[in-house]
Amino acid sequence: MRFLPHTDADRTAMLETIGVSDINKLFADIPAEFHIEAGSLNLPDALSEAAIVRKFTRASEQNRHAGNHSYFLGGGTYHHFIPAVVDYVISRGEFLTAYTPYQPEISQGTLQVLFEYQTMASRLLDMDISNASMYDAATAVAEAALMAKRATRRNRTVIAGSVNPRYRAVARNYLLHLEGETVELTSNGFTTDIEAIVAAITPETASVIVQYPDFYGTVYDLADIRKKCDETGTLMVVAFSDATAFGLIKAPGSFGADIVVGSGQSLGIPMGFGGPHLGIFTCTQKLLRQMPGRVCGLTQDANGKRGFVLTLSTREQHIRREKATSNICSNQGLMCTAAATYMTLMGDAGLKRVAEHSAAALKMLVGGLPSGVTAAGGAHYNETILSFAGQSERDNFLKRAEAANIFAGIPLEKFDTEIEPKHLLIATTEMLEADDVTRYLELLGGAL
Amino acid sequence: MSTSIYQGGSHGLMHEEPLLFEHAHEAPESINLPGVAGILSSELKTFARKTEPGIPGLSEPEAVRHFVRLSQWNHNIETGFYPLGSCTMKYNPRVNEQVVRLPGLAHIHPDQPESTVQGALALLYELQEWLGEITGFPYCTLQPAAGAQGEWTGLMMIRAALDARGDSHRTKVLVPDSAHGTNPASAALCGMTTVEIKSTPEGRVDLDELKAHLDGDVAALMMTNPNTTGMFESDIAEVCRLVHEAGGFVYGDGANLNALVGKAKPGDMGIDCLHINVHKSFSTPHGGGGPGGGPVVVSESLAPFMPTPRIEKNESGYAIIASDSTSIGSVLGSIGQVGVLLRAAAYIAAFGKDHMHLIAEDAVLNANYILARLKNAYDVPFKGICKHECLLTDEIQNKHGVKTIDIAKRLIDLGFHPMTVYFPLIVHGAMLIEPTESESKETIDAFCDAMLEIAEACEKGETEELHNAPVLPIRSRLDETAAARKPVLTWQD
Repeated sequence: MRFLPHTDADRTAMLETIGVSDINKLFADIPAEFHIEAGSLNLPDALSEAAIVRKFTRASEQNRHAGNHSYFLGGGTYHHFIPAVVDYVISRGEFLTAYTPYQPEISQGTLQVLFEYQTMASRLLDMDISNASMYDAATAVAEAALMAKRATRRNRTVIAGSVNPRYRAVARNYLLHLEGETVELTSNGFTTDIEAIVAAITPETASVIVQYPDFYGTVYDLADIRKKCDETGTLMVVAFSDATAFGLIKAPGSFGADIVVGSGQSLGIPMGFGGPHLGIFTCTQKLLRQMPGRVCGLTQDANGKRGFVLTLSTREQHIRREKATSNICSNQGLMCTAAATYMTLMGDAGLKRVAEHSAAALKMLVGGLPSGVTAAGGAHYNETILSFAGQSERDNFLKRAEAANIFAGIPLEKFDTEIEPKHLLIATTEMLEADDVTRYLELLGGAL
Repeated sequence: MSTSIYQGGSHGLMHEEPLLFEHAHEAPESINLPGVAGILSSELKTFARKTEPGIPGLSEPEAVRHFVRLSQWNHNIETGFYPLGSCTMKYNPRVNEQVVRLPGLAHIHPDQPESTVQGALALLYELQEWLGEITGFPYCTLQPAAGAQGEWTGLMMIRAALDARGDSHRTKVLVPDSAHGTNPASAALCGMTTVEIKSTPEGRVDLDELKAHLDGDVAALMMTNPNTTGMFESDIAEVCRLVHEAGGFVYGDGANLNALVGKAKPGDMGIDCLHINVHKSFSTPHGGGGPGGGPVVVSESLAPFMPTPRIEKNESGYAIIASDSTSIGSVLGSIGQVGVLLRAAAYIAAFGKDHMHLIAEDAVLNANYILARLKNAYDVPFKGICKHECLLTDEIQNKHGVKTIDIAKRLIDLGFHPMTVYFPLIVHGAMLIEPTESESKETIDAFCDAMLEIAEACEKGETEELHNAPVLPIRSRLDETAAARKPVLTWQD
C-alpha cells in the first residue's frame, strides 16, 4: 500500500520489540465479538493512483462548471476571479499540511499570515478586530448572536427577514436550546424593512442581525437601526455574503456595527459546491474577550524578536470546557491564507475594480431587461431579484439559458419555500464580460 | 547514547520577512481583470466608500516571495514527524489535492441544477455509504464542518429524539474526565448540563461511577473510544447497555477512530451516533488549523432527525433533500465542506477493502512500539497495550526540574514537532504521542532516540539545553502571557 512505509520485516521487528507475536494481540483489548476480518468491509477494491484520477475525472466531467459556463448565481456563493498564486500558496505543504499553530516557534508562517489576515479583514470591514475565522458565514452569524447574548447578558435576538435564509436557519438552530427568545421578522418585498426592524428592537434585545447588502442585494442606510440600538443598548450585528462589495461601498463598520460577520469565499476561494468556505468574524475592541474561536496576537520571543501566538485561549473549549465562548475547536485556517494572499495581490485598487466590474455587470443587465421582467428597485451592488409574469416564463428562460451554457439565476423558492415560484435571485461578478450579459438579455428576450 | 542523526530543525536558509504592511513602496496595479466596464448607478454611488480600506497591494513576484518565505517558518507533515496525540497527523496524499481541483468539482455552485452536478453528488453519496460501512452505521450526514460541530449536531439529534418521545426533561450529559474539551462545550451549546465521570486508576470509565449517575435525567453519555489515554474502553458494550437501559443515548466521539479503522466498528458496540474527523482518520490536510470535516454517522433511532440538506439516491440519480418534517434542520450554510470530503473519499478509495485494516494495524503497531521503547525512561501512567497513541508523563524528569514543556521544546531543536502536551487533564504533565500509520520505522526510531537522549540528559543533570529550548527555529520561546495581557490582533501603521 503506497501510503504505508513498513515492510513485513519492519512489522515483525517492531512486534518483537513490543514483545508480542502477532498484530492481533495488540487488539486483544477489543472484545472478540467486535473484531472484523481483514478484507470483509463492503468497500470497493483498492484503487491505484491512476484509477483514482480516472474516477474523479469522470465524476468531474459529469458536472457543468464555471470553466466554460457563465454564472449568474449568488445567494452566498460567487464565481469571482482567483489568481493562480492563491492556489499555489495554499498548495504548499508548509501551509497545507501544518497543524494548528499551538507550538508557535515552529508555526510562525501560519501565525503571521493569520495576523495579516485579521488586519486586512478588519480594514476591509472597517472594524477594530477579527478572529482567525469561523466555518462559514452561517455559523459566523450564529456565533455572533451567541456572543451578543454573553456580552449584553440579555436573551432576546432579532433577525431581519432580509438575512440569507440559510444564515437564519443555522442561527435559529444554534439558539434553539438556549435560554431566550429569537424573533425572526418576515421580509416585506425584496428589500430590508428598516421600520419593522427598528420597531422590533427593545431594551431587552441583545442583538439585531441584519444583512448588508441584504439577501436580495439591496444596499441601504443602517443609520436608523444604529440609532435605535444606541437607545436600547442593543448590539448591531451586520452579516454579508460577498466581501468584495466593501472594496467599493461603505463598509458595515462605518455605520457603527458592533459585530460584522459573513463569507470570505469571494476572496480567492473557489465555489467548491458549497465549501470549504470562510466565515469572517470581526467586532469592536470592546467585545474582544467575548469573541468565539481562535485569535492570533502579537508578542515577543525570549530574544526580544517580534513573533505571533494564538492568544486569549482561556475563552476556548480546551481550557474552559462547558464555560467556553464557543465549542469550536478548528478554524478555516487555510482559507484565511487564501484570502490573505488574494487581498495582498489585489490591494485597495484591485479590490475596488473587482467590485466596480461586478456592479457594472448588474447595472448593464438590469438596464437592458425586456418588458415582462422586472428587477427589485433601490441601490444594488451585484445581486438582485428578477420577477417574471409566471413560473412557466421563468423556467422556460432558465432552460434555454442552461442549454446555452448559462446558469441564469437561482429560483428564489429554493431559499424561501413560501414564495410564488416566479422569481430569480441573480448575481454578477467580474468574471462576466459584456458579451455574457448581452447573450443573457438576448435569451431572456427570446424566452418571453 | 544514541547515534541517530536527526532530521534537522528549521535552521538553514531562513529569511526574515516583514509584515506585508511594512513593505515600503506603493505597489503597481498588477492585477488584470476581465469584466464589464461602466460607471456606478446613481443609487449605488451614494453608498460609495469614502476612504480606502488600506489593503496594501504587492506585485505578483513580491507577493509570492512574501508568502513563500512565511511558509518556510512552518513545521509541517511534509518536512517532519508530527506525533500529536489525538490529532492523527498522517501524510496527506498529493493525488487528493490534484483531484479536488478538477474544474467540475472545484468550480461548481451549490445551487446550480441537480442534473448538472450528478458527478459530485455521486462521489459524496458514495462517501456517505463508505463512512457508514467503515463505522457500522446505516446513515451518514456529511454536513458538519468539523468534529466539534459534529458533536453538537449529534446532541441536537439526541435532543430531538428525546423531545419526540416526550422526554424533553432529559438534559444531563455524562462526560468522562478524560474527554476532549469540545464535549462539554458542545453539550452546553445544546442547552444541556454536563456531569463529569471519573476514570478508574486504569484510565477507563468507572462502571460504578457511571451507574451512580444514570438516572431519569440522563440524555446521553459522550464517549471517546479509544479514550484520550490511548486505551480501549473494553466495557463499551456494557456501558452502552447501561445507558440505553436508563433511557439515554451514547454519543461516540470519533476523534480516535484511527485505532479501529478496518478492525472493529463502533456501530456494532451499541453507540447511537458518532462523528468522524476526516482530517484525522481520512488524511485531509489540517491547513494550519482547518478546514476540517465532521460527518456524523447515525443509527436507525436517530435517523429521522438528521440535518438537511442531505444527499439521497433515487431512480433518476442523486438528489439533495432540502428539508423534511423531522429533521433538526441545517447546521451549516451548505451541504458540507465538500472539498475536504472529496479528499477523504479519495483516501478511502486508495485503501479499499483490501488495505483498510492496515490503517489501524500500523497506527497501533507504531504507538505500541514507541511505548515499548520509552516505557523504562518515562513514566507510563496506565499500563498495558495502547491503541493508536501512548500516554507518558514527566514524573521521572520532574525530579531533575524538567517539565513536559521543556521536553516538548527540546524536541523542536531535535527536529520533531512536540507531542500533545498537558492533555488529557487526568494525569499530571501529560505527553500524548500518536505516530499514525504513515511514519516509517526509521522516523519512529529517530524520535524514540531523541526522547531517550532527553531522558538521559535529565538523568545526568544536563538540563540547561532543555530549559533554553528551542534555540534553532526562527523564534525562541514566545511570551504568551504578554500576548494575552495586552492583546494586539491587528497591525496599526
